[in-house]
Amino acid sequence: MPIIEMKKVFLLGHRQERDSIFNLLHKLGSVHLLDMKSGDAWNEFEALLEPDQPDEAAAQVDARLSDIRYCLDFFQRHFPVRKNFVQQFTGAKLELTPEKYSGYINSLDLARSTYSSCRKADDDLARIRNEETQFNNLIEELTPWVALDLSLEQIRNGSFVSMDLYTVIPENLSTLMASLEENLSAHHLEMIFTDKEFVYFFFTGLAAELETVQNFFKEKAVTRAAFTALTGTAAENIESLHQKLESVIEERVAVLKEIELLLEHRPMLMACYDHMDNELKKHEAVSNLARTENSFLLEGWVPVPVLNDLEMTIAEKTDTAVLAVRDPRPGEDVPVLLHNSGPIEAYEVVTKLYSTPRKSEIDPTPFMAPFFFVFFGICLSDAGYGVILALLALFVSRKLKLAGMGKQLVNLLFLGGLSAIFFGVLFGSYFGDLIGLPALWFDPLEDPMRMLFYCFGIGLIHVYFGMALQAYRNFKAGHLLSAIFDQGFWFIFLNGLILLLLPEFSAFGRLFAIGGAAGLILTQGRTQQGIVKKFMSGLLSLYNITGYLSDVLSYSRLLALGLATGVIASAINSMGGMVAGGFVGTAIMVIVLFGGHLFNIVISTLGSYVHTSRLQYIEFFGKFFEGGGKAFNPFTVKTSYVDVIETEKAL
Amino acid sequence: MMDGIQIALLGAALAVGLAGIGSAIGVGIVGQSAAGLVTEDPDKFGQTLLLQALPGTQGIYGLLTGFMIMQRVGIIGGGLVNLSVPDGYAFLMASIPVAIVGLISAVYQGRVSAAAIGLIAKRPEELGKGIVFAVMVETYAVLALLASIMLLFGIPV
Repeated sequence: MPIIEMKKVFLLGHRQERDSIFNLLHKLGSVHLLDMKSGDAWNEFEALLEPDQPDEAAAQVDARLSDIRYCLDFFQRHFPVRKNFVQQFTGAKLELTPEKYSGYINSLDLARSTYSSCRKADDDLARIRNEETQFNNLIEELTPWVALDLSLEQIRNGSFVSMDLYTVIPENLSTLMASLEENLSAHHLEMIFTDKEFVYFFFTGLAAELETVQNFFKEKAVTRAAFTALTGTAAENIESLHQKLESVIEERVAVLKEIELLLEHRPMLMACYDHMDNELKKHEAVSNLARTENSFLLEGWVPVPVLNDLEMTIAEKTDTAVLAVRDPRPGEDVPVLLHNSGPIEAYEVVTKLYSTPRKSEIDPTPFMAPFFFVFFGICLSDAGYGVILALLALFVSRKLKLAGMGKQLVNLLFLGGLSAIFFGVLFGSYFGDLIGLPALWFDPLEDPMRMLFYCFGIGLIHVYFGMALQAYRNFKAGHLLSAIFDQGFWFIFLNGLILLLLPEFSAFGRLFAIGGAAGLILTQGRTQQGIVKKFMSGLLSLYNITGYLSDVLSYSRLLALGLATGVIASAINSMGGMVAGGFVGTAIMVIVLFGGHLFNIVISTLGSYVHTSRLQYIEFFGKFFEGGGKAFNPFTVKTSYVDVIETEKAL
Repeated sequence: MMDGIQIALLGAALAVGLAGIGSAIGVGIVGQSAAGLVTEDPDKFGQTLLLQALPGTQGIYGLLTGFMIMQRVGIIGGGLVNLSVPDGYAFLMASIPVAIVGLISAVYQGRVSAAAIGLIAKRPEELGKGIVFAVMVETYAVLALLASIMLLFGIPV
């Protein structure tokens, strides 16, 4: 049975035992928790129960967790862990032995001290960054004044003489100088530096005339450059600032070194993160429960195969807990857990990428798997490519510890490689025409029309199979007439049309086609009101023939992709052949062949996978599969950073 | 001197050129979105690259058709075939489906893939669905390739 049966369980226990029972369930990972407040039981016993709440410890765990997350983010910011190309799809986790893991999660004090070190380092870095910008800005401001010999502290207004540094835009300079010349009794203006934007100048005049001067300055948009806190000349200041900058940069290097030393705690923090995260999840899951003063009640779904185990464990490890089990009631939203054995399991990934089946539905995976296997092989259809793909998939699954969908995808590609070998041998394609072995069956490149008909044929089988599954669904749901009317008549009608095309069967064909069409016209409008409407919508339903036609024509992509793989491969071979000859030529040829075929494998595998998936999703699933089920999501240990690998224990 | 060969080569050039332009635009559109997402999350590079590759196939289909024409008329692998003008036109016409459909479908596939980049930015687990949307567009490029190939096989030279 591909969809595993579920039973509803209620667990009633003493409040004191709540946490230990929770730990047990978490470790077993076999219960899909439900929120009591939205269940039926809640309505029945609302007066007696109240929702349980996470206790204060949860807030503490949460705070700890955010500290650890801060550290990990901080490390990631300064010393990022990069994922390689494969890991970007599969994720990368740190592997730990159980001993190491428990060692790590017991060093929470170390985690705390690491946190304060990280905080301090982060603050230091922020301060250093601030100082750096500050120094750089000051250097930038001072640079135009390098030519000024005066010490900056000497530039100030005295009782008789005022002096200061100013900037003005070059366009205003001449008019400014003219009006100063005209209106002041004594002054001195010395240009220090000019760039595109400003003229930098030193001005000194009588203190008594300062106000007049300032009015002129205001008029001409002159700004004062203030260096109040500085002593020494601009050049001296710049030099000392550079020295300060250097020491700040040194300081940063030192801080980064400190962080690097802290990095050794990263695995520990990762383990702690996962541990605390799971602790938090346990605390939070409590809000699904209902409680009375001294007891708690838990509701959930358990897959039948592990139910016995759960009952035994609960009975063995607890004193007060009672487990009540019942069958799902009609209308209950039962979570779905797929279970396919052997090679079919790999194809679950295709179903899951589309949608989880509903509880009431058939799991399409085992029905789809053989078609996927065959279609993928026809699309890739090269024995050489198949060998390489299968070997690569094997290598990846050995090298990387994959789980779940990543593992299934790799297995799917492995099987796809095998299928490609099979069809490659049938069609006589070994790296295109590189190895000139004859086709075991026939070469689609030489007789594409023949291959096209086979593609349509296999497509027709696929479509009929989908219809048959829908008919079965209707039948099981007790709609025998729907199965006959909606699938049976179409089946007769379509076969009639096909037979019409064959001269020797055209008489039968006419009979079937007319019979089927009559059946469809009479039945397809059965939900409508009134005889005219019934007839019209029955007649219109025949228009759906275009849907079936385009469905079957869609399988021509199998031929097209197969041809594409083969022809590109041949193109690569002839390009390689063009440069062959001599040592250099042969070397180039090898590069061309290697690179070209690798490229073709990647592109063709991608094409085969996506187009084969599409045929399943649109042409096949469209006939009978709805999806939209809720996946079984057990209350269990979930990690983001580490994997605890059970080492083989001596028995 | 028969000069059908030039017309046939025009067909090859159009197949490679137009489908290639389409793919270049399509891949370009996806690349821009992808770079935006990778700025936020460098770990999504692999997934986005997969989506970016999708509108690239039209260019390959065009190249494939062009290559087949070149092989048939003897530009590669053997001496030039003596081609009549009508035969030359036959090759040109055989290249039209993949050239035109390749050009336009690649651009639209690029837009769908770019939207799929937005999809995986929020829901990385839905990559499969994003790919399916893009593949719905590619169907027509595959059908056009098929038509071009069948036409090419049908030309008796």
